[in-house]
Amino acid sequence: MLITPALVALHLIALCVSGALLLASGFAWTLLRHWDIASGSELQIRLERRTYLVSTLLGFVLGAELLSLLLFVHSAESLSSQFVGAMCATGVLNINAFGFPTLLLKIALFFLAALWLLLNRVDQQGHDYPLVRVKYALLLAIMPLALLELLLQSAYFLGLKPEVITSCCGSLFSAEGQGAAAELAGWPVRPALLAFYGMAGLLLGSGAALWRWPALGALFAAISGLTFVVAIAAIIAFLSLYVYENPNRHCPFCLLKAGYDYVGYALYLPLFAATAAGLGAGLLAPCRHIASLRRVMPGEMRWLTGVALAGFGAFYVLATALILRSNLILLG
Amino acid sequence: MIELSAVSKIFHQGQPNECRALCAVSLTLQRGGMTVFKGPSGSGKTTLLTLVGALARPTSGRISLDGRLLSNLPERFLTEVRRHTFGFVFQQFNLIRGLSVLENVMLPAYPLGRPHRELTQAAQALLERFGLDGKTASRVEWLSGGEAQRTALARALINDPAVLIADEPTANLDSALSGEVLALLGELAAQGRTVLISSHDPRVCSAAPVTRLIELHDGHIVGDYAC
Repeated sequence: MLITPALVALHLIALCVSGALLLASGFAWTLLRHWDIASGSELQIRLERRTYLVSTLLGFVLGAELLSLLLFVHSAESLSSQFVGAMCATGVLNINAFGFPTLLLKIALFFLAALWLLLNRVDQQGHDYPLVRVKYALLLAIMPLALLELLLQSAYFLGLKPEVITSCCGSLFSAEGQGAAAELAGWPVRPALLAFYGMAGLLLGSGAALWRWPALGALFAAISGLTFVVAIAAIIAFLSLYVYENPNRHCPFCLLKAGYDYVGYALYLPLFAATAAGLGAGLLAPCRHIASLRRVMPGEMRWLTGVALAGFGAFYVLATALILRSNLILLG
Repeated sequence: MIELSAVSKIFHQGQPNECRALCAVSLTLQRGGMTVFKGPSGSGKTTLLTLVGALARPTSGRISLDGRLLSNLPERFLTEVRRHTFGFVFQQFNLIRGLSVLENVMLPAYPLGRPHRELTQAAQALLERFGLDGKTASRVEWLSGGEAQRTALARALINDPAVLIADEPTANLDSALSGEVLALLGELAAQGRTVLISSHDPRVCSAAPVTRLIELHDGHIVGDYAC
């Protein structure tokens, strides 16, 4: 096992997140069973008091969970020089069977944590704890995933053996290979470009519609989620080719390297933030009917839609600039 | 209207020194008038006023203000209600040492963001009304007991609260000063404010402006009299 400050930090974050969620889930279970805002019972008042403390603590640990995705990817990338055969994070994640499952789980937890934080933010603006049940039900759903993350990440880190010879990104993200990554790498450029920019149009249209008709939150969330998937696919299918100026190099992780001006961070950060905001807009759209939130919801929805559109906008602008700046010609 | 429904308050719950300060108290306080909570030391008067003024939360039971539940409000909403609705005069005055009389009076209004000039004028007007216009620049530690009490009263009124809560307002005063303070409180009640006082001082309980007398003993209401 390798020990680096980043891996220790990731371990600590996973321990804190799973520990805090485990403790909070007991509270969440009691709250879901006994919460009754009309009651003045001792238990109800105790729940009202504790929800403050629990929400504040969870705000910190789930905020750390958001950052841990970035740290995980950055660590995988920075460790690539220590493993034979690894040229980027792909090789490091491929060292054992737990690398990519941990990454995928971290991505899922990133979005779930972001949604929980958004729910918490809105809930605290209502005087009668309007979303308290939804918030803690979601917490119970996140808890097993956080425990699984701790297990998978620990297994992954414990299996990081420097003597293991791993494979580079060229073998995984190759159009000739097998699996989802190879399928994406083999996606023809023209339809991929059409889908990529088509999603941008759909997103812009649904964002504008949501601004006017708040009931369309679910549609905007679905389109945001789909845009995220298409964007990742597009990075593998053609955007990476333009950045590397190599028609056979599809790796989405090499973009994080200094040699490419860390352009991957500039692409992924707004993409992830925008997707979380878009999904949040969908999740929170029904809250506009709640009496105690009626005043704040229009502002919250505008803010979330604005963040989503700005984030996706930044991603698309940068992606387009990378395509136009590239010396590679994929479409004749 | 302030309504208390089966309100209990237990301190140090579940510990050997558990103290049941209030036991299922139900009470309705109409707007206006001067209500005195009377009872021996430890009867729950101060606890009751603390709960009514949203300075603490009950262990069980509900408190509502004009039909809106107060006791379950999240802290940030409760702070807003406290700032706008209640003014407090504490038994030990709780004036901030090192600050002047004027600064002490202005202090509770700072979070509301009123223009400084307007706020200063309002504070000076209150001090003038309570006969403290010559003391505005004095540090509060230089004040006599009566002056400190009147400063505390002026501070409680700076945000123009609908409800004024005074905990043992005459405890540290002689007869003449007690009469003066009671007259001031009576004046405020006559202007339409709800004045809630805790006291075991017989002079307060028999004072002319008192409109209602509620007697507490061991956390229970044992008497409720209109005056």
